[in-house]
Formats: sequence, C-alpha cells, structure tokens
Amino acid sequence: MNFNIEIPHSIDELVLTLNKFKNKNYRIGAGCTDLLMELKNNSASNLTIINISQVDDFNFNNVKLSNGNVDIGANTTAFKICENENILENYKTLHEAALNLASAQIRQVATIGGNICTASPSGDLICALMALKAQLYIKNSLGENREISILDFYKGVRKTDLKHGEFLSHLSLNSNNKNAFKTKSGFIKIGTRKSMECSVVSLAYHIQIDKKGNIIETGLAFGASAPIVKYATRACDFLIGKKIDSLSKTEIDTFAKLVVEYASPIDDIRATAWYRKQVLFNISKSILEKNIEK
Amino acid sequence: MGELNKLKVIGTPVPKHDGKIRASGKAVYGHDIKLKDMLYGAILRTEHPCATIEKIDISKALKLKGVECIITAKDIDVNNIGYKRDHPILKSNEVNCERDEIAAVAAQTKEIAIKALQLIKVKYKVKKGIFDPFEALDLNSPKINSFNSGKFDNKNIAEVFKYSHGNIEEEKSKSKVHIKRRFTLPRVTHACLGTSNISAQYDKISGKLLLYSSTQVPFLYQRDMAHALKMNPSDIRVIQPVIGGGFGSKLDMYPFEPICALLSIKTGKPVQIIYSRKEEFLASPTRQPMIIDISCGADKNGSFTYRDIKIIKDNGAYTSWGATTPFVIMQAFSSLYKVAACNFEATAVYTNNVFAGSFRGYGNPQATFALERMIDLLADELKMSKSEIRLKNANFKGEITGQGLHYDTCGHKECLETVINKSNFNKSTKKSKEGRYKKGIGLASMLHVGGGAKIYRSDGCGTTVKIDPYGYCTVISGSNEIGQGSETVLAMIASEELGISLEKIKIINTDTDIKPWDVGVHASRTSFVAGNSLLGAINLLKIKLNKKAKELLDSKNDDFNYENGCIIDNTEDKSINLDKVVREMHFSEPNELAIASYFYEPSSQFQDKEFKGNVSGSYAFASQAIEVEVDTYTGNVNILNVYVAQDVGKVLNPLLLDGQIHGGILQGIGYAVSEEMIYKNGILQNPNFHNYKLLTASDIPQIHFFPIETNDKQGPYGAKGVGEAPLIPTAAAIANAVCDALEVEFLELPLTPERVLKAFNNKKKLIHEF
Repeated sequence: MNFNIEIPHSIDELVLTLNKFKNKNYRIGAGCTDLLMELKNNSASNLTIINISQVDDFNFNNVKLSNGNVDIGANTTAFKICENENILENYKTLHEAALNLASAQIRQVATIGGNICTASPSGDLICALMALKAQLYIKNSLGENREISILDFYKGVRKTDLKHGEFLSHLSLNSNNKNAFKTKSGFIKIGTRKSMECSVVSLAYHIQIDKKGNIIETGLAFGASAPIVKYATRACDFLIGKKIDSLSKTEIDTFAKLVVEYASPIDDIRATAWYRKQVLFNISKSILEKNIEK
Repeated sequence: MGELNKLKVIGTPVPKHDGKIRASGKAVYGHDIKLKDMLYGAILRTEHPCATIEKIDISKALKLKGVECIITAKDIDVNNIGYKRDHPILKSNEVNCERDEIAAVAAQTKEIAIKALQLIKVKYKVKKGIFDPFEALDLNSPKINSFNSGKFDNKNIAEVFKYSHGNIEEEKSKSKVHIKRRFTLPRVTHACLGTSNISAQYDKISGKLLLYSSTQVPFLYQRDMAHALKMNPSDIRVIQPVIGGGFGSKLDMYPFEPICALLSIKTGKPVQIIYSRKEEFLASPTRQPMIIDISCGADKNGSFTYRDIKIIKDNGAYTSWGATTPFVIMQAFSSLYKVAACNFEATAVYTNNVFAGSFRGYGNPQATFALERMIDLLADELKMSKSEIRLKNANFKGEITGQGLHYDTCGHKECLETVINKSNFNKSTKKSKEGRYKKGIGLASMLHVGGGAKIYRSDGCGTTVKIDPYGYCTVISGSNEIGQGSETVLAMIASEELGISLEKIKIINTDTDIKPWDVGVHASRTSFVAGNSLLGAINLLKIKLNKKAKELLDSKNDDFNYENGCIIDNTEDKSINLDKVVREMHFSEPNELAIASYFYEPSSQFQDKEFKGNVSGSYAFASQAIEVEVDTYTGNVNILNVYVAQDVGKVLNPLLLDGQIHGGILQGIGYAVSEEMIYKNGILQNPNFHNYKLLTASDIPQIHFFPIETNDKQGPYGAKGVGEAPLIPTAAAIANAVCDALEVEFLELPLTPERVLKAFNNKKKLIHEF
C-alpha cells in the first residue's frame, strides 16, 4: 500500500479537493473498511485517498428531520443510524440492516455513503435504502447538485452512476404514507455467523398497511443474488391492494416466486446459486406468513 | 501437599497471571520483537501444487536495493525435517503442495523483501496433482513424496497404525444389530490470532543461534532445529515470547523456522519472519481430514459388542506429527464406552494437498464424531433411548480397557447423568411436524488423556523452586505458557503450599538455557505434569526450610504450616517469618540456598508394539448435551443450550477452567457447523476470515458447565488435564442434535446451512427447480 492522503475539513474544501484531483487517480474514503482491504490487494501507483472522515459538517455527518422527510448525510456512521430513534420507529428495515452490519467496531466507522458508493452486490444498507426508495443527492467538483433515485443508481457489478469528480452528499427518505396505520418493515440477513458476516442472501422489506389492513405501499429489495442489489417491482406491485391478514398460501408463494424472478445468482465460495434462490424464496414467504414476524 | 479441605488458593477464581499485560497491549509477542540491525525475511512459495522446477532465477531480485541475501536449496547444507524426515526445507527439483518453499529473501524492510520475491522467476513444468487419497493409493499413481521410506507396500503410504482387542467374529455373532457407515471429516485450521513468527539471531563469533520462537515444545524444537541445520542442540537457545495462540499448531517445526535461522547465519544479522494472515491460512498446519469407515454392533440388551474401523487420512505431501493422531483416535474407539472387541486400522496417505499437523483433540474430535453418530444409529435400530444406551455402556472406575488403559478414577457415568438431567434430555424431544423451526437435542461423550501421554521416552517435567531473602518465590518450570494459564496455576500451587502471596511469585519458563527439561505443551498435560513437578520441588525445599525453622524456633516438631509469609509450629504456637528463615539459611552455617529441584515423571507406560499399555497418568471424561434449533428455511443451525459435564479431577481455578470450556466449545461449534478449508485442485479458495467462517463472541450459546470432581490421586490436588476435552464431543453432539431435529442423517461435517437445507429439502422432496 502506497498512496497520498488529502484531508478536506469542510464540504467546500472537499469540492476544491475534488476539483484539484478530478483528472487524477483518486479514491474517496470515509470509514475505509472496504477500501483498505481493496488497497491491500491492489496497490495502484500514484493513488490519492481523499479522506472525508474529517469533514466537519453537521448535515454531512448526521441524520436530521427535514419537512417530514429524513435526511441522512453520506458520512453518517452505521452506529449513528442504529442509534436514531426516528429510523427505528419509521424505517425499521434500515435500522435492522445497520444493526446487522459487520461488527460493533466496524459500525463505528463504516458510513452509509461508503456502503452506497462501494456498490457491493451484498450491500446491506443499499438493500434497505432500495426498499425505502431513497433519493440520493450528489455534488460535483464545481459545487453543482443533482439527485437520483437509488433504484436508478446502480449500473453493474460495483458500478454506479457517480461520475468522476462527484460525491454523494446525502440521501433522503420520504415520510411514510399518511394513511399508513402500520408498517411491516424489516431486514433479513442470511449468513453463517451472527456477526462479521457478509450476506449470502439478504432481504429488505417495507410494507405499509392502512387501517383496514389493505397493503397500500410496498418496497422490497434483496442482495447477494444478482450483480447488483435488486428491487423486486412485480412482487411489490402484486401486493398492492391485498389484505395483509388474509393472503392465501398460493398468493404468498406467487409473491415469493415473483421476488426470485429478479435473482440471477452465481455459484461462489459462500453458496451455490441454488441455495441463494431457495433461501430467497423461503425468506420472501416468511415475511408474509403469520407469527413469523421478526 | 495441602489438605484438600483446607485449601486457600487452589479452587479459587484467581485471574490470569498474564491477563493484565495481554489486555492492555503491553505483552511482547513475537511480532513486537525488534533487534538491532534486524532484517526482514520473506518466503517464495510455489505457484503450482505439483510441478517440476526447471529453473530458478534470482538475479533480478539480488540487484534490488536493500536485499541482503537470497537462498534457494542449492545454497544450503541441511537435513530434511518432519516426523518422517521426508520434508526438504527448501524445494529444489519438485514441488508437491501449495505451501512449498522455493526461495527466501532477507531484506532491510518487509516491503523490499516482498518486492524481491516478485522479481524471482521460477520456471515450472506443471504436473497433474493427486488430491484424493484413494487415487494416491492406486498402484498406477506416481510416487508423491520421493523421500518416502518405502516401509509400506504402497509407495504413497506414509504411516499405518493397526490395533485390535477381543474377537470380532465372535462378537458379531452375539450382536442383534449391526450398523455400517462412512464418515468424511473436513480440513480446518487453528486460526491463531497471533500469526506464525520467528526471529533468529546468529552470532558468528560464538557460533551460537538464538531463536525467539512460538513453539509449544522448546526442547524438542531445539533438537529438531539442530538436526535440520547440522548444529549442536545446545548451541541453539530458544526463547519464547508471548504466544498468540497454539492449539497444537506449534508442535511441529516448519520450514519457515530453519529458513529464518539460515538467513541469519548467511547474513550474520538478526532476521525476522512474520506470516501475513493469508500466509497463515496457506502455510500453517490444519486438522487431519479423514474418511472413517466404521461398522459396529450391539447385543439385544444394548451392550456394545464390536467396532471395526478403517481410516484413510489425507497426509498431504509431507509427514508431520499429525500423522500420529491414530494414537489418540484408537483410544476413543477401543476404550470410550465398554466394547468387547475392536479392530482398528488407520493409514496416512500422501497427496498433493497441504500437510496436516496436530490440533487440540489430536484426532479425537473426528473419532468421537463417528463413534457417537454410530451410537445414535444403534439406539434407533434397537429402539432404545439414546441416553439409556450410553449409560448402559459407560466406562467405570477400576475398569481396565481392552487397550490397557487403567481408569483409577472415572466420571463418565456421572458426566452423562448430569447432562441428561440438566438438559431434560429424555423429555425434550417432542417434535412438531409443521413449522419453520425444528428443535433437536444430541448427546455425546469423550475420553482423553488427563495425565499426560507417554509417547516420547519421557513425559516428564523438571522444576526448580527458589525463595529469596525477601520472601519472594521464583518457580523455574520446564513447562511453558501458550495462553492456557499454566503460569497462573503454577503460581497458585506455590502460593498454596508456601503461604506466599501470589504477587510475590515469579514464574520463569521461557528460556531453554535456563529451564529444566519438559516435553512441551500438548496432551492437556501441563497442569498435571508441571503441577506435580512443582509440588515435588516444594516438598524437597520444605525439608530444608523445616530443618532451619525447627532450629530457629527451637521446636520439637518436624511438621510446619506455611501461611501468610510465615512458618508456623501449631503445636507449640510459635512462628517465624519465611524470609528470615531463608536469610538464616543463606547467612549462617552451613550456608545453603533455599532452592530445590525435582523431576516428575508420570507413572504411565510407553505402549507396546500393539499399542497396548496405560499411556497416561489419568484419564479425563466429558459429556455434552446440546440443544439446537434448525431453521428449515435457511438451513442455519442455532445452538440454543450446551450442557457440559467434565471430569476434571479437581477444579484448580474455576475462572480459567470456564475459559477453557467456553473456548473449546466455540471451537467445537465451528468444527460442527461453519469451519472448512475449501480446496480446488490443491489450492485453498478461502485463505481469509471473510470466507473461512471462524465463529466470534456473538456466536457463543448458553453454556451450562458442571465440573465433576473425581479427585484422582495421581493429579495435583486430584486434578486432571482439561485443555482439549471441551471441543472433542461438541461436533458429535451437535450433529446428533441436528439429525434428531430433522430426522435426516448427516455423514460429513461441517453442517453448513447449505448442506442442512439440501438434506431437509431432499427428505421433504421440496427441491424447487431453481
């Protein structure tokens, strides 16, 4: 490992730094929990790490309420997400995804922006944020802003829509539907160990239900079973208008099959494609089966 | 030795002697050693597991600034290493496994050394390797290790162990049920948190070699190193820094160690080699993978009649101490539970896989897994309860087994009864047919040596104990500390016997130039053997102290108590400070030292050629009942409760004992459900913690531990060895529990979620066409 480090201390400095390095070989690092591992294996020459962990900006480093929505700065650690009561109450899937991320030590430094931009096919926070249809806000080296839905952000294995010279500043979660009486929201992570684990299959769901028990809004995404984290549109649409408490076994099976249709896993050292699909099917069913709520 | 009912220190939860320095980061591990002008060594390993080496070109690497020395096989005059001397330190003509060392570099920095490795060009002629021991046994297969002695009728057999007692055919005819199975056990590794390391410092002027080494067996290591380097053993001094985990991995000497010494000898400067985590996975030893064919029977009453076992062990390309694990494996088959007849044959077969070494339990977890699975199958066949069949056949006090093991004390039955009761074993097996989660419970026992193991000419340990004029005590023990807590136990014994507080006791145990002989840390022997050795030394020392105390106190008594730094004559109500007695010994005639040495050799026997004999000073037993919940949606096995009863003889320190139990069980759970080194054509696919599923603190289940005290008169205060036992029956009990939960059979470990889900779905014909 041999690299230079730039340490901006404010968003303005970060923009200037990116401007200075936009034509050079650089990587942005926050918690660096993935980046360091990567650098150990490939030591590129003339590399600069732009270490954004020292950027002193409240909005960049924290969760805050904004007109009913929740804004989360890109530099917010997984630990802060776990601790946030608003997220626990309204977006349980994200809370659980953060809580199951790696280990207590890693959660202290790993950031939500890092998880989103690393674009791992098994990214736990990505999975939850897709189920919540998060909106991403991006800044470039001239200080200009743009936004994009997380559902459109991923372009391939570890490829995102982020251009050279851009960085993720924050993301926003819409408030739950005003007619939602309750939400069924959670994150299921399948692996061998109870911590320090990379998902073999993961599933995030956020289902909003009105007073009469009708499903009014749905979001469901899964990880580690395709080149990118996948949003299961047809499975989500299938549930709309149905009553949560009177789904038949056939309907639940159909729903689970619709989820699996989006999967295209490979055999690798952690599991076979067969296992991933079978488990994805089973856990998709489990979220609608009674008495199995987490 | 103090009276058992009046013990003050023994049996109390004294924190670990070295706990504070370890927890505060102040401990000096091998990785922390920095010597003046020290160079950094690195090893070039083969790119192919099986190939002929056509050319090694080091010219470019030699030109790299900062490189001080590069060695290949042609630069060194050495002997082969390993238990069978079949292992060249550096390979010259052929490479036979992924670990093989071809060249080594010493450079001014670690980075330069690694860069130099990349500049060494090796031309290989790649050959098709043999990775399946059965293929290696095929007569048409080529000879894998050219140094194989050829003692056996197949060129790829490294070692064979045969044992038998009783009349198998007769017992077969008495049997009502017979079961036959093949079990396959995986390759797992120790995963020590401190990676392998060594620092070597050769002094050209004196011709002496100083090694800072993490070996578990310093005196055997000294001899092996001397043989390898063609030196005099006593010209090699071994100092042990703090060791970051052993678990048996440091029982053999490996090529990197003489390589480091050779680099120091060539350069005249100290050289250090430290493995990266990846290298640790690739190049440190593993547990033996093996295939166990077993048939066994029981009569109509459920008494075990016979066991017939054939084992094929994948030896890998070279032979380590691991090849001798059948010593222990055969004990489990011949002597765990009563069995009238036993035939046993284990064959270690060379392959182009990496070689295995010794690992906590030494073959016993594999054997116990196979045996305890078979007992469940016998019970099912006989329609007997799984607890009843075990209780019926349990070992007992006074038993002399077919192999000649003498159970002077035996807690087997009590261990079984304890876990059966505490776990509610016989009531907890109500199965729900429907539902996602299925509960099950499994039972398994184990037998292991508990008083050393006489596999070398001596299984002894020497100790010198000294009291200084200030009343402090120094114990110089032949045994060593690898994290298991032996220093603490020795200090507790000295404190108990001499009435000296713990903080005034120093343990010296790291330097072969100073300490007396000991075989090393293995076979759960240290507390037993080194403890007895220390007690022997203290007894001799007390004779001297008593004599002086009697004179100074003008006492008629010959027997004194040692308490609170004083020597007390209770009958005459007189006492004198211990330090004063020592000063008087030193400074008044006849001027002698308060020092004594003792060599303790256990009463055990060296086994005969048929492997019969009482190989240990005592035997440890344990039973575990483990309750699991299997998620039939994912195949995950959740360990709910582990009930452990272990015959420890006597609890010396409940805190350290708990540590051994927790650590061993977690290691056993890993062996059962998650750990596996995955190879593809001899190349390790998961050399990292990311994909090698070592469990962590969050995976520790509820552990309910019940020590069983049988007070073995051979052991110090009645204690037996405890170190290896906790992991030995764990995988067996878990496998039995999972089989119980799902009503399917498993013939291999680990029970990964995928294997479990597949087995469950196959049974339920639930396979979706994904």
